[in-house]
Amino acid sequence: MGFAVEAKALVKQFGNIRALNGLIFQIKQGEIFGLIGPNGAGKTTTLRIISTLIVPTSGNVEVFNLDSVKQAAQVRKIISYLPEEAGAYPNLSGNEYLEFMAKFNTKSKNELHETIKEAAKISGLEERLRDKTKTYSKGMKRRLLVARALMTRPKLAVLDEPASGLDVLHAYHVREIIKTYVKHHGVTVLLSSHNMLEVEYLCDRIALIDKGKIVVEGKADDLKKKYQSENLEEVFAKVVGYA
Amino acid sequence: MLRGFMTILVKELKELVRDPKILIGMIVLPLVILPVMGLVLGYAAETAQEEAQKATLLVLNNDGGNWSETFISYISASLNVAVLNDITPQEVVSQDVLTKYNSTQFVEIPSGFSQNMSQHVDGGEFAITATIKVYGVFQGGGIFSNIGSSSFNIFVNGFNRAIAPDVVYTSQSTIIKGEIQEGIDPATLSGLLLSQSIALPITLMIMLTYSMQIAATSVAMEKEEKTLETLLTVPVDRFSILMGKLSSTIIVAGVAAVTVMVGYNYMLGSITLGLETAGPIDLVELGLVPSPIGYALLGISLFVTLLSALALAVIISAFSEDVRGAQALVGYLYPIVFIPALVLIYLDVNTLPQAVKAILYAIPYSHPIIASKVIVLGEYTTVILGIIYVTIFTIVIMYIASRLFATEKILTAKLKFGRRSKKKAE
Repeated sequence: MGFAVEAKALVKQFGNIRALNGLIFQIKQGEIFGLIGPNGAGKTTTLRIISTLIVPTSGNVEVFNLDSVKQAAQVRKIISYLPEEAGAYPNLSGNEYLEFMAKFNTKSKNELHETIKEAAKISGLEERLRDKTKTYSKGMKRRLLVARALMTRPKLAVLDEPASGLDVLHAYHVREIIKTYVKHHGVTVLLSSHNMLEVEYLCDRIALIDKGKIVVEGKADDLKKKYQSENLEEVFAKVVGYA
Repeated sequence: MLRGFMTILVKELKELVRDPKILIGMIVLPLVILPVMGLVLGYAAETAQEEAQKATLLVLNNDGGNWSETFISYISASLNVAVLNDITPQEVVSQDVLTKYNSTQFVEIPSGFSQNMSQHVDGGEFAITATIKVYGVFQGGGIFSNIGSSSFNIFVNGFNRAIAPDVVYTSQSTIIKGEIQEGIDPATLSGLLLSQSIALPITLMIMLTYSMQIAATSVAMEKEEKTLETLLTVPVDRFSILMGKLSSTIIVAGVAAVTVMVGYNYMLGSITLGLETAGPIDLVELGLVPSPIGYALLGISLFVTLLSALALAVIISAFSEDVRGAQALVGYLYPIVFIPALVLIYLDVNTLPQAVKAILYAIPYSHPIIASKVIVLGEYTTVILGIIYVTIFTIVIMYIASRLFATEKILTAKLKFGRRSKKKAE
């Protein structure tokens, strides 16, 4: 069985800034993989390359053995990407937004209907789905968007900071959605986060990224043992030589 | 009492001065457009006067008497006169004699002129007056076109002052599309059609600026609401996204073009009705209302021009991060919308120097205005060539847009003025 994602020596240069500097990692099929690191480490750039939004300066990424640049159209059929600051169309209702997005991935009316029903269940927004998204709170909008990302049962869900900026209850709901949905449907998830607790709770394996490179990779418990640390924050600080 | 006033004032001024929209709207545009307008007006008046003075005035002397010779000698002192004998006004028009003399007007001294003059001047029969018939070709064009026909009256008045008060009168006629329309003064006709030469350019300016603002928000809104990234990762062809956005603007352009045509038709109808009550002039009878083909071509010209403007606005909005930025960027296009409209209100494009003419023809937004002027004269070739040019321009713009949408530039391209662009590493 091949990897769900295989990043090979990824380099991305934006003018004078080297955002990625030879990034290498693999994600196994069906696992939740967390990419953690400080601001500017290259997390979003990595997720954007995997999601076919931008192309690497050198190196390549394979998603279920499909090249993210040469076979971008095929990759888009099997992935779902949730950007960190994603929004919904303010003048569409929640239902209309889900329908609009679902139409790109479904082939029949029946399939469309089932997909929207699934999304409604995931979001838990119930009656509020009839309201325009501009009336939603930040937490409600994020639940809608997470539901959008998962409703099509993608082979790979790429989630950038899925619960960032949410209050405790909304963040809890979003994490539960991801955890249970992956177990039931065998979706592979790649997520990035600043929140070490979230990563520890959700991810099967994690990779710490700094200055465009993976500095350490493994299971959370193994890393804590290896670096004799209480939590992942401490692991990270020790790895980058901060502590 | 006004504690903090200066702090707030300084901060407000900083924000205003640094806002490109304010800079364009309040400083750059007036600084560019008003001097250009001054130059255009000065040039327009000068050209019209020069042409009237330089042109050869054809005089058909069908009288042959002493007084006609006296009159010709009088005007020859100031004008470049060519005298023709034994030819009727209709023959001058049908044999295209005016083109040979590179002139747009002629006068006829009809038979009986000298006899009437003698009776008035020598016989003291003051009730008898003499008439000179003035014929001018209707040129359409701008406000200062057709100035020549009225300037001839200055010489007739001068002649009257020298000989006897109110002895010679002029009777004005207009040559429209090779037909003489007796009793219609070209200058009066131009005045009546003034609203036509002003209304369409102004309507077009308003329509283009509004619709470009709307189109500019189509991509910028996706960026501002953070929906573009998601849309670009779904299994849909990037070209379909672009075409979807452009098609909605095409519908807007189509509706706008039809609306303008309906309004324009109503406006011309109103002018005709107004004239019917004031006098015998009827634009429909004179053939100065566009034919159905003319209307159709003007509609197509408006449509493709709007489309090119909207496509350009969509591309420009791709370079901004939010709606406000997109609208500011589109503002930089306004001078090329305003200048041709304002120039063409005052001037006939054919009277301009070659370089200015080339610049006007190169700007797509000039073409519907030029079209509105020439369709009444049945000059469809100019309109069709304009439509072809604007269509090619639009296709090129749309190709550039499709290339932009196919790459990561749609997300990373940014145009910033006054400071270097920074790209996020994360």
